[in-house]
Amino acid sequence: MIDQAPAIVLLAPFLTAVLVVLVGMKYERACFPLVVLGLCCSAAAAVQTLLQVIEAGTLRYSMGGWPPPFGIEFRIDGLNALVALTVSTVALISAVYSKNRVPEENGDKISIYYTLLLLVVTWLLGMVMTGDAFNLYVLLEVSALTSYALIAMGTRRATVAAFKYAIMGTIGASFYLLGVGYLYIKTGSLNMFDIHEVLVAENLHQSTTVLVAFILITVGVWIKMAFFPLHAWLPNSYAFAPTTTSCLLGPLVTKVMVYVMIRMMLTVFDPLYTYLQLNWGNIVVWMAVIAILAGSLAALAQTDLRRMLAFLIVAEVGYMVGGVWLANTAGLVGAIYHLIADVFMTLCVFLFAGIVFAKTGKRDITATHGLFAKMPLTMAGLVVGALSLIGIPPTAGFFSKWYLIQGGMAAGHWGYVTALLISSLAMAVLFFRVFEYAFFGVKPAEGHGDHHPSGKGKFSEASASMLLPLLGTASLVLLIGIFNQSIVSIITDFVGQFNLTGSIMR
Amino acid sequence: MKALGLIAVLGTGLLLLAASRDFPNWGDPSSPASSYRLSRHFITQTINETAVPNMVTAVLADYRGYDTLFEAVVIFTAGIAVIGILRRYGNRDFIPAGGEVHLTPKQPDLIVESTVRLLIPVIQIFALYVIAHGHHSPGGGFQGGVIFGASFILLALARDLRTAQNWVAEKRMLILACCGILIYAGIGVLCQLLGENFLDYQILHRILPTDPVMARYHSILGVEIGVAFTVTAIMFSIYSNLSSNGQMKEGI
Repeated sequence: MIDQAPAIVLLAPFLTAVLVVLVGMKYERACFPLVVLGLCCSAAAAVQTLLQVIEAGTLRYSMGGWPPPFGIEFRIDGLNALVALTVSTVALISAVYSKNRVPEENGDKISIYYTLLLLVVTWLLGMVMTGDAFNLYVLLEVSALTSYALIAMGTRRATVAAFKYAIMGTIGASFYLLGVGYLYIKTGSLNMFDIHEVLVAENLHQSTTVLVAFILITVGVWIKMAFFPLHAWLPNSYAFAPTTTSCLLGPLVTKVMVYVMIRMMLTVFDPLYTYLQLNWGNIVVWMAVIAILAGSLAALAQTDLRRMLAFLIVAEVGYMVGGVWLANTAGLVGAIYHLIADVFMTLCVFLFAGIVFAKTGKRDITATHGLFAKMPLTMAGLVVGALSLIGIPPTAGFFSKWYLIQGGMAAGHWGYVTALLISSLAMAVLFFRVFEYAFFGVKPAEGHGDHHPSGKGKFSEASASMLLPLLGTASLVLLIGIFNQSIVSIITDFVGQFNLTGSIMR
Repeated sequence: MKALGLIAVLGTGLLLLAASRDFPNWGDPSSPASSYRLSRHFITQTINETAVPNMVTAVLADYRGYDTLFEAVVIFTAGIAVIGILRRYGNRDFIPAGGEVHLTPKQPDLIVESTVRLLIPVIQIFALYVIAHGHHSPGGGFQGGVIFGASFILLALARDLRTAQNWVAEKRMLILACCGILIYAGIGVLCQLLGENFLDYQILHRILPTDPVMARYHSILGVEIGVAFTVTAIMFSIYSNLSSNGQMKEGI
């Protein structure tokens, strides 16, 4: 069974999704344990896959037993395995969080909601592990389809936001598909590694068709990852979706798309092509600078807690795109490490927003009034996530920013370094404002009546199913920060094969 | 805003035109897509490796069967998503934005009803033919499933949604859709249990009374049937949700 681990990572949530529909018709209460069980299997298989990759190097799994390029294969290296483990862990955490939230927010459609949740996890995992450019498109399309539904199941405004997302997402997916089609015209293959071989062997990097394919794929993926100014779909979608949806999709979707961008740039097209021959690094990094600044400033202007966090995602995407296009090892390592760290810190703050919404019923930042006194543990979770987003040691965010700044300095791109620092300041302002409300703000009991009749005593923490995921995520943020060396060494192994500092010196 | 849109459209158009400069000629037999080892392998080896005369089906359901599993699940997901967004359970009446729609009860129409009564069995038999012959001639699970689903939609259109629901209730449709996916994925998992990779059909010769090549041939049929189940069920499920505003009471 061990060699089936890569397939189980994906099949466990997939088969559970179908089972949840069937079981949920009769026994709605059985849905939640099933979901957690399926995601546990997936996470365990992902750990196993990562261990195998660390031990034996790149792992290959041919679907249907057909050797590539005839069939579809998973080719899992350090990058895939890390991101896959991240995705399944986040899925598990948000599933635990959903225990009470789904019956409350979508009470009549529990099994349907859980099915969609498991399906979207399946697609994201599939996207991360596949080695086939067209298979990635299929998963891109269906993951978007599932996300639209998960978002539209929220409030009324969520339906409109999901519609906007549907239109933008479809444009992004069609751009990607066109790009893959052009690559197929020129190479006759769909396997990522095979396309790369043909591109190099037949010197197709000079062809305009390949250039247009690269532009289409990159822009398509940018739309999907909400790279400023293509981010218009994101803030409302994540602000008005059910809280479980924002906890699951907020951290994951954009980051998985960053992974796809890295995979396309480095594995399908060659780093020599993307970085040296095109030489757009400077322009794209400046675009990233604008994205970082715009995202952080827009976040400052928000009063809705989850909308504010959504704009932070836009800024974080700028960090990663900039880091990748800095075209040196430190920048790339920083971007990939930031991808993993950012997933957990975003999850942390979104879980906090979900808990605040669940406890107070308000979406506004002022809903955090006096929370330090009432919910100290919840606030402790937020503090860790917020400090990590600001970038204070020993949280994960500090180390990822450290690498990114190193990359910026090595590339001599001072604008990017400045943007990172300004954005850290903006996040500090944002979160200290929240802390101030929570610490000094008027207690709801004195000000405008208690919002939860059950809270008799002084403390009124959220239920364990919501609190434990938050605390777990907060400790993961710390652990990823403290043990950054072991994660970075896996990433360095992956980045090292491209020999960036050797071939691309500025 | 409109000017920006125009610029974006023109830019994309120019980009697409620029790409076509470098295309291989129309129908060029030496173009990369037709001359690369991939297509050569499919054209020459399909019949030896899978015993399926219809190359398209072999690529679809065997070489790239993993993709097709997900294509089937795209349809399944769409059905679940429509239920998730539109379906309203219980007696809570939902009044749509444009005011309540009152449908006059349909008067049974002799001509329409007799035609439909004659047509539906023919449509369904044809659908079964398309499904069963997918690997011999054009057709397959997706096409056959759509035709089969259309027969139920025709019934709902000619009579009303309730009559069609009597034949295929909502829950039964959902179970059918799940069964379709489980048939497809189940065949794949069976291959895993027998010790090969997911969807590696040839190992099924151990439990089927055939050789490995014919095991692939028969599994493709099984997979097509799974797809057909899902497509049939989801077609009708989406139609009934859309036409009754998610209440499953009265349709158009």
